[in-house]
Amino acid sequence: MVVKEFISELRTAFPDVEMEQAQTNCDLGNNGYVHVYPKSEDEIVTILQYANEHGKKIVVQGNGSKKGFGGEKETADILLSLSKYKGIVEHGAGDMTVTVKSGTSFQELQEFLSEYKQQVSLDPSWPKYASIGGVIASNDSGPKRLGYGSARDAVIGLRIIYPDGTIIRSGGKVVKNVAGYDMNKMYIGSMGTLGVFTEVTLKLRPLPKKESVVLISFPEGSFEDIHAFAVKILDSMMEPVSLEFLNPSLAQKLIGKKQFTLAISFEDVESSVDYQVKMIQDMKPDQTTLSILLDNEELQSFWNQLYSISPNGVEGNLETKETEACLKVGVKNLSVLNVIRDGQMLQDSHNLVVTAHGGLGHGICQLNLKGAREDVASVITNLCQIVGRLKGYVIIKHAPLSLRQEINVWGDKPTYLFLMEGIKSKIDPNHVLNEKRFLGGI
Amino acid sequence: MVLKENDVKNEPACTTTSLSNYLWSDAPDENKWADCVHCGMCLEACPTYELTGQEQHSPRGRVHLIQSVAEGKLEVNEQFMDPVNQCLDCRACTTACPADVDVGGLIEEARGQIRQAMPLKGWKGMVSKLFLEELFPYPNRMNSFGGLLKFYQKSGVQNLVRKTRLINIMPSHLVEMEAVMPEIKVPVRKLFKNEEVIKAKGTEKGTVSFLTGCIMDVMFSDINESTINVLTHNGHNVSIPKKQTCCGALHVHAGDRETGRKLAKQNIEAFKDADKVIVNAAGCGCMLKDYPELFREDAEWKEKAEVFAAKVEDVSKYVHDNGYEKPKSEIKTRLTYHDACHLAHGQGIREEPRKILLDIPGVEMVHMPNSDRCCGSAGIYNITNPEMAGAVLERKMENVPDDVDMISMGNPGCMLQMAIGVEKYGRSQQVVHTIQLLDWAYKKDAEKEKSNKGGEK
Amino acid sequence: MPLKLKTKDKHIKKLAEIVNGPKSILYLKEDLLAYDCDGFTIHRHMPKAVVFPKNTEEVAAIVKYCASHNLPFLARGAGTGLSGGAIPINEEVIISLVRMKRLVHVDLENRRAVVEPGFVNLKLTNSISEKGYYYAPDPSSQYCCTIGGNVAENAGGAHCLKYGVTTNHILGLEVVLPNGEIIEISSDGIPDAPGYDLLGLLTGSEGTLGIVTKITVRILKNPEAKQTVLAYFDKVSDGSYAVSDIISAGIVPAALEMMDKIAIEGVEAASFPVGHPKDIAALLLIEVDGIEAGIDEQIKEILEVCKKRNVREVKVAQNEQERARWWANRKTGFGAMGAISPDYLVQDGVIPRSKLPEVLERINQVSEEVGLRIANIFHAGDGNLHPLVLFDSRKPGETEKALKAGTACLKACADVGGSITGEHGVGIEKMEEMRFVFNEEEIQAQTAIREVFNPKNLLNAGKIFPSPGRCVEIKKEMKATSVKSEEKLLEFS
Repeated sequence: MVVKEFISELRTAFPDVEMEQAQTNCDLGNNGYVHVYPKSEDEIVTILQYANEHGKKIVVQGNGSKKGFGGEKETADILLSLSKYKGIVEHGAGDMTVTVKSGTSFQELQEFLSEYKQQVSLDPSWPKYASIGGVIASNDSGPKRLGYGSARDAVIGLRIIYPDGTIIRSGGKVVKNVAGYDMNKMYIGSMGTLGVFTEVTLKLRPLPKKESVVLISFPEGSFEDIHAFAVKILDSMMEPVSLEFLNPSLAQKLIGKKQFTLAISFEDVESSVDYQVKMIQDMKPDQTTLSILLDNEELQSFWNQLYSISPNGVEGNLETKETEACLKVGVKNLSVLNVIRDGQMLQDSHNLVVTAHGGLGHGICQLNLKGAREDVASVITNLCQIVGRLKGYVIIKHAPLSLRQEINVWGDKPTYLFLMEGIKSKIDPNHVLNEKRFLGGI
Repeated sequence: MVLKENDVKNEPACTTTSLSNYLWSDAPDENKWADCVHCGMCLEACPTYELTGQEQHSPRGRVHLIQSVAEGKLEVNEQFMDPVNQCLDCRACTTACPADVDVGGLIEEARGQIRQAMPLKGWKGMVSKLFLEELFPYPNRMNSFGGLLKFYQKSGVQNLVRKTRLINIMPSHLVEMEAVMPEIKVPVRKLFKNEEVIKAKGTEKGTVSFLTGCIMDVMFSDINESTINVLTHNGHNVSIPKKQTCCGALHVHAGDRETGRKLAKQNIEAFKDADKVIVNAAGCGCMLKDYPELFREDAEWKEKAEVFAAKVEDVSKYVHDNGYEKPKSEIKTRLTYHDACHLAHGQGIREEPRKILLDIPGVEMVHMPNSDRCCGSAGIYNITNPEMAGAVLERKMENVPDDVDMISMGNPGCMLQMAIGVEKYGRSQQVVHTIQLLDWAYKKDAEKEKSNKGGEK
Repeated sequence: MPLKLKTKDKHIKKLAEIVNGPKSILYLKEDLLAYDCDGFTIHRHMPKAVVFPKNTEEVAAIVKYCASHNLPFLARGAGTGLSGGAIPINEEVIISLVRMKRLVHVDLENRRAVVEPGFVNLKLTNSISEKGYYYAPDPSSQYCCTIGGNVAENAGGAHCLKYGVTTNHILGLEVVLPNGEIIEISSDGIPDAPGYDLLGLLTGSEGTLGIVTKITVRILKNPEAKQTVLAYFDKVSDGSYAVSDIISAGIVPAALEMMDKIAIEGVEAASFPVGHPKDIAALLLIEVDGIEAGIDEQIKEILEVCKKRNVREVKVAQNEQERARWWANRKTGFGAMGAISPDYLVQDGVIPRSKLPEVLERINQVSEEVGLRIANIFHAGDGNLHPLVLFDSRKPGETEKALKAGTACLKACADVGGSITGEHGVGIEKMEEMRFVFNEEEIQAQTAIREVFNPKNLLNAGKIFPSPGRCVEIKKEMKATSVKSEEKLLEFS
């Protein structure tokens, strides 16, 4: 009833904006009584101003793939969906830059760019759902981060609406820019707590002329060998784009081998890729098996599977009884080995499935847990301890609301949290946007 | 004595822009600092900046201060003197400078002003006066001084001083220097005093004139001998003009540009008829080449100085460029090469000495990191600025590889300083002049030939 | 123990105690004068004192003291910045970090190193090169600039085209906040620390948010091979088009540099000449690195592009010495201007690559309008221009003209959608030009961040941002005082 009044109030205030009353429900929270689908920046500005002035709370989302990421509330007043705010704004093919509306899905963007033999050099999860705005706001990255870096390396400009409706541009259209503070960095990964991105400008890279993935699967109990082999690769002249370590459960899903596996990928001109693949073949440790993915289809299917093993907020799992969670773990590069190994051990000691991978050249791991709620919770707690000893961090990228209310999604508060609180209160003093969805309850 | 020169003005010669606080003629040259754009490329090249991290002890800082005096922002006073005098005049900044700013020239000109505004006092003044004014310019006094030193070494007084711990009351850096003083031999100017020209061996290529140097000839006369041997061995007649005198480098470094000019004139005259002026001390060579700078306010002498400067060549470069016999005998040694500032930075000579050394069979060269970093000798800097000189030396010794037998270089000042370093830090290296090593190899060749001939008989 | 100082100033006495001795503080006019500017020499101002702390604790103590006594202060590295970020316009206490120059730790396996802020950029590469590693950001001043200063300015360099600028290589920081509190952000160098990216915010904040006292940087493995190409063009436009063509061909060169005729005249007259022909209009210096097997292919393609664009002569470096000579010639380019002009003012605009011909033409016009020569040495690959306005400050009015020309160049960049600075920072030089790219709200959004970190605005105040409404006045005053540098410039605070 209250909701009905609210929506009619909104409809009166914004007769032209598409909106609907919330329908489906899932166990991830971060919902809104009313879903609004703005199609212009003006609409976004006015909705934000309205909420700011009327003490309403807003949850921001693209297509909802990250609904299970952070946040302690079932629902806010308004869910601002950018799923209908999409399209390419400007593409400077010669300048290798693109400006895109934030609701555009990552896949759409890459498909557009591939016509020009260009790409955004990021490889986030669920490209078909993930909006570019969401990828940037959550600072999502994938295995190719080793070669190409993460969002903070690719984003050169943002257009962001502050809760009071002010439009702020940060960065610009050029690849090198130090005019003023590097505000882009602050907005990237801010989980929508500072403003609503409307446009993202990215620097592009040429599509590689050749790509190849070498998979090396190790026999059980050869951890020292894996470590030594990884160090050897990292210390060599080779330039892998990813050096991703897969646990047996994941390797089985991807390539049918239930073994710890290294996925080494190369992207470059043909002669260079061939040369490096040959080098890997030559240094292959004894008792390991090696396979090479060369043809496009194989490669596509490998990466697509890898990018879709984590749970997402779009394809809800209300039917299954099992609890799913996804963790992002950051440690020193080579400690990734320990995290993935211990993750596998926890799978065996608890009754659940852990599919996990991590980059030996960049230190970021993803662990997907699936099992009974208590087991999932207990494994998370265990992992936090393990990672704590490695001086790393654990972030829960996806978990049901109830679990998030129980376990701290962002981990311990840093000593400098006051600076972040200061930033938040300067920009969003009324806590309109994504309330309590971020570190330290920001 | 000094002030009798006709181009000296007793009274301050105020320049046209009255802002300047340089009150005497020969003030630092505006055009020199106009080239400096304050980019900072010189910072890391400067030994005193490396040690202090302070801008006023950096090349661009010094240039800035020197300029500020001319602009009337500073006065020539003690506080200004400190950074200017702490400069080693090693010229490393000139090498690093993209715009070739002549920092060394500015420093020397500024020192000239300081010297006149504030005559040296106290102990430093005394030492400086003794060496610079009373000793170096006078070959006969130098010889007597050499004789005294020789007496000191041979007579047992040296032993006495050491044993009685009299040495303990000498300032520490003088003790260090005393400890490594080379054995004094007969200067070549005395040795060859009756020979107009020392004849080349084998086919004659021509005649060169040799500047023996004041300290060099007294304290390192064996190197002078080696130089003559190497030159004659390779077909060059060597003449030693009698009227030559000290090059004046130490005076100019210390700001006594008047004496510098006086000595320069004497040398220019002495070598008037020479085709080539060969020098084996980098510091001297650099000074001789810089004579025109001393006369920038005297067109007539400037021209003479330019003609003279064009004839000056370091022995290593001369020998290298004119072809030399590669010795056949082996000198089995591991050595490292130190780039004397006034050879590398001052004259751009880096590769020639190394090539000569590597042409001696048995020589194995070990790279010295930062080989062109000043050792802290810098003329009489190690006497006047012992603290900084010591710190610079310490850095230098850190770079000397452990596992070498010899350290080779082309400057007597460096040799003395490096010898102090070897002694002070308990190292074992022998300090040699590049040309000496070549001479030793030739000598070995000669001995072999002799014994071979002997054997044949 | 009371120290012997030639001053009665109680603040100086106290600061001297903190840094433990008279050799770690400067306070006399003759010494301070050497600190009245950095690499930006048009404006000068005297500091109150210069202190030389040895460690983080001393920095924190100095900052605490200054903060509690309302003394303005700022941090300084080697003082090679080109926008005046280290100039004490408020008579600051300068905290010189050059004595904090240790290489604290190298972890090759995890590809990171920890350095103190006074550590010189190139020394890091030199310390790890034997093992086959290097530190990528290479500003032209890398021979002497400090990594602390690089962090403050988010320094770039010739090889940023492929490898990114400083911020892409900073993994962790220890920072003394303007209230003297010490914080550590990702000191283990683990990326993506939870929370707002303060690392990213601090890097490039030009010393206005905090003083960095320890830096964890990413180090990279040396590329297997490098090839360097030098191409001479008779027309600037041909050179510019070649730049675009190379990038469009899908090549990511490690560096792609351009110099125009006047710049070539400068470098050839200076200490590291290469022997470039005097009559060419532009040259490109192109470097490709990576896997040896793949390089020839790319070089071949580059040569073809150059030929298509009417190159007069193009050559590949035959050995490391030749390559080093080309680079020394390029990297000393700014300083080399001293050989053909008493003063220069370097600008740092960035434009979308495709606008190169248009903007270079505009700069040419500016040069004619103000009657000063403008040389161009720049990172063409990422559109980062460096117009060098040549002038003689001794001639009345020329400094003003040069400033005007600089501003006009930046306007030209901003007008085509570019930026006013790509790597030198805003400092005091380009405060007013910030308005070319940001509106009032956007500037306020940034100063709001400063208020969070630096609420009393004692740390390096009056830099980067134009004061609302007062900016025109300030700029005018600055231009006037740039000639008479003794006068106090601004009463910021």
